[in-house]
Amino acid sequence: MNQMLIRARKSVFLATGISLLAMTSALAGEVTVWSWDPNFNGATMKEAAARYSASHPDMTINLVDFAKADLEQKLQAQLASGTTEGLPDIVLIEDYGAQKYLLSFPGAFEPLNGKIDYSGFAPYKVELATVDGNTYSMPFDSGVTGLFYRSDILAEAGYTAADLQDIDWDQFIEIAKVVKEKTGHPMLGIDLNDAGAVRILLQSMGAWYFTPDGQPAIAGDAKFKAALSTYAKLLQAKEIYKPVSGWTEYTGGFVSGEVASVFTGVWMTATIKAANMSGQWGVAPLPKMPGVEGATHASNLGGSSWYVLSSSAEKDEAVDFLAEVWGKDADFYQKILVDQGALGSYLAAREGEAYKASDAYFGGQAVWQSFSDWLAAVPAVNYGIFTNEVDAAVAAQLPALAEGGSVDDAIAAIDAQVRAQIQ
Amino acid sequence: MILGRILGGAMAKSRIGRAEQRNGWLFIAPTLVLLGLFMVYPIVWSLWMSFQTGRGMNHSFGGFTNIIRLTQDPVFLRALTNTGIFLVVQVPIMIVLALLFAAALNNPKLRFRGFFRTAIFLPCVTSLVAYSILFKSMFASDGVINDLAIMLHLMDAPISWLGDPFWARTVIILAITWRWTGYNMIFYLAAMQNIDKSIYEAARIDGVPGWARFRYITLPMLKPVILFTTVISTIGTLQLFDEVNNITTGGPSDSTLTLSLYIYNLTFKFMPSLGYAATVSYVIVILVAVLSFLQFLVAKDRKA
Amino acid sequence: MSRVFAQARSGLVYAGLSLAAFVSIFPFFWMLVGTTNTAPDIIKGKITFGSALFDNITNLFAQVDMVQVFWNSTFLAIVGTVLTLAISSLAGYAFEMFPSKTRERVFAVLLLTLSIPFAAIMVPLFVMMAKLTLINTFTAILLPSIASVFIIFYFRQATKAFPHELRDAAKIDGLKEWQIFLYIYLPVMRSTYAAAIIIVFMANWNNYLWPLIVLQTNENKTLTLVVSSLASSYYPDYGVVMVATVLATLPTIIVFFLLQRRFVEGLTGSVK
Repeated sequence: MNQMLIRARKSVFLATGISLLAMTSALAGEVTVWSWDPNFNGATMKEAAARYSASHPDMTINLVDFAKADLEQKLQAQLASGTTEGLPDIVLIEDYGAQKYLLSFPGAFEPLNGKIDYSGFAPYKVELATVDGNTYSMPFDSGVTGLFYRSDILAEAGYTAADLQDIDWDQFIEIAKVVKEKTGHPMLGIDLNDAGAVRILLQSMGAWYFTPDGQPAIAGDAKFKAALSTYAKLLQAKEIYKPVSGWTEYTGGFVSGEVASVFTGVWMTATIKAANMSGQWGVAPLPKMPGVEGATHASNLGGSSWYVLSSSAEKDEAVDFLAEVWGKDADFYQKILVDQGALGSYLAAREGEAYKASDAYFGGQAVWQSFSDWLAAVPAVNYGIFTNEVDAAVAAQLPALAEGGSVDDAIAAIDAQVRAQIQ
Repeated sequence: MILGRILGGAMAKSRIGRAEQRNGWLFIAPTLVLLGLFMVYPIVWSLWMSFQTGRGMNHSFGGFTNIIRLTQDPVFLRALTNTGIFLVVQVPIMIVLALLFAAALNNPKLRFRGFFRTAIFLPCVTSLVAYSILFKSMFASDGVINDLAIMLHLMDAPISWLGDPFWARTVIILAITWRWTGYNMIFYLAAMQNIDKSIYEAARIDGVPGWARFRYITLPMLKPVILFTTVISTIGTLQLFDEVNNITTGGPSDSTLTLSLYIYNLTFKFMPSLGYAATVSYVIVILVAVLSFLQFLVAKDRKA
Repeated sequence: MSRVFAQARSGLVYAGLSLAAFVSIFPFFWMLVGTTNTAPDIIKGKITFGSALFDNITNLFAQVDMVQVFWNSTFLAIVGTVLTLAISSLAGYAFEMFPSKTRERVFAVLLLTLSIPFAAIMVPLFVMMAKLTLINTFTAILLPSIASVFIIFYFRQATKAFPHELRDAAKIDGLKEWQIFLYIYLPVMRSTYAAAIIIVFMANWNNYLWPLIVLQTNENKTLTLVVSSLASSYYPDYGVVMVATVLATLPTIIVFFLLQRRFVEGLTGSVK
């Protein structure tokens, strides 16, 4: 018994000792940043820090990285506990969740509209982080969408880049059918558990799951029905896509060369380039919604922004850092575009060289230029606070739609589920 | 010396009652202190939360609102059904398999015992990340399983394992069984080791056949451990989360959504409804309480 | 005739076990193969060995301070296992050896606590740790886990097979309770302890959710967190992920290997 007690005491001392060491490592002048994907987000933050330290040598950055889902869990758990100890100074939050965090945890984040000139940023990015006139984010990477396609496969099926400009989804399905017939390649990889495509379609029409004042825009909403019907058409044309499950299989589809195209956010570029198929890819504008007024070729999937925690001890320094580099440095944006393929939301950066350069990987196309043009045209939407709930409800109906189920039934089911969830 | 022993024995007897009581509490004291601090307070808090409604930090007392919401929530009912299906199908299969493996491996004359034991236990230690990637790729529409099955003429067309509700549930059940059978097997093996070998010898000499030895000697002596594993497995399956989160993410169309995954979504993915999440947690608690009680009852009439 | 039957049955047993072994080992084999291949190959489903092992290892160590992370996980696992076994086996023994009505009720309540999903108590636990200023410490991870109702339950059930005569004989010999526990119970229940060590070590080593919430800095991260973060980039380098997962799996296998003989190979004669 005594042995055990002694051992227990020793280990508690040891653990406390180690923990003391850990705590004292958070020094003054050190800004802690939480983000995911060290090769993408982390790398851009490091680059920004290097630039800032050049003129502010006593500032160091402490980058802690987590899996995206882990970070969201951690942040939400800690904010829900009301304890601020251990929270970072800056945190990366995905745009869809911005309102959720801002409204669930009022006072947790620092408003930045006094320090940053938001007129220089893509409007839709600014609006999604604004509550009651205060804006809380430093907009970061944009999820502006495009249609990435295999130019060689399309050529084999008899299509050129010109054939993909200014098309709508009905025409896209026709093209896909021909591609499958002539080359045997499926045009898309579709995950029936993922409602991302519906979100893309909605935003391209300037619509969302909710009306601007927060009411569900599902049952009886013409644009929602249009989006769902169009997607149902896509799902029912079984021959044009490969059913996939999960992220790995989804990206594996086009990386392996099997799937001929993918419509998604610009941040997928790095993955597409990892497939090592230089010269075989092209980028076309997103097809637009057929027969809907106000339909555009511009939409968004994902994207994230940096937020400053109000509890941060290094608040002022963090805000200054963000404003100086992320808020003004156009050259910085060129670098992260070239190095990480990160398309920032800073509009002035679009005048830079890198943004205008042509990319050999995409057959010499000036892809960044295209994305920048679309970036400015993305319709601003209020994501609201219940996006994930509706997403889950929509995804639950996708398999039924793929089997030829009625769109009206699906809409009714989604509406019922959403109303139950948002009470 | 002997007198001393007898005297000592006689005196000890009258003190045993009180000493035993004292030691009884003393031995469990550290446990009670730790659990009191780190279990009781959080549980009381979550019980209090289960009567709160509201989002995020803005919550207020809602009385029975959450319980009423349970009965009208289609997603909750789906999660409850799925969890029930997994429980009823998977736990018995796994227990029986584990028992069979343990019985087979308990035979000292079996060769390569060490190898088999390690092999069957390996899935428990294989990292969750690794085996979910593997299962997802094996059961993909163009994955190994489909290829193999078609090659062996077990079926004509590839099954969309992860895209069809029924097959997705099957994959989950296969994954759980694969992962945890070895775990339960370990408990049975350890317990079988505690059975005196001479009992078996005597039975064999008396002409009792192998299966009867298993049924009438081994099984009864394993009863406490079997009860342990069924209760633990019941709890584990009712709280099923890892596999459904990593392999199927609750899909397709919520066919593999379990209660724990729903709680997770309510707490982390959706607009945080901590009160409602706590309420769903207590549904799990009640289910576990009822089922464990039943299992203890069934085991009781044989207990000495 | 019965000889053929016996041989057929024995053959069936071997076949069944072999199939089980194959099914159980294959994923591990696939992981090992993965460590030697590049990410694109792994995604395509290549199951033959490649030549990228050195690159994958180098990349992993470049991205992550593996030594620190490994040490963190090891420390937590070993200290956690020792403490858990000490405290929980004592309690399990006591519940069985010193029956009393009150303690029975306490035990029933403890069992009920097993059913609470961790997500439900995580937030208040976190608040508690913050109040004790234990956020981002190993103490915060150890404290809630060392009184394990699971292990208490296990030891209680296992103790039912412990012969009372041994204890009675020891008491007549004048041994005190704690001496009986240490010198008689511990050696006899070796196989139970061996199994418990494996289980607890594994649980502590693979512990994921609570360390995720409590640990804040890179220096304190455990291996499970690192693997999770590696596997979830937009385009994860699966070769690196595989190396990390193999490294994450090795210690548990080693512990199992070391202990499995002990609890299986026989305590014949120890009961006497």
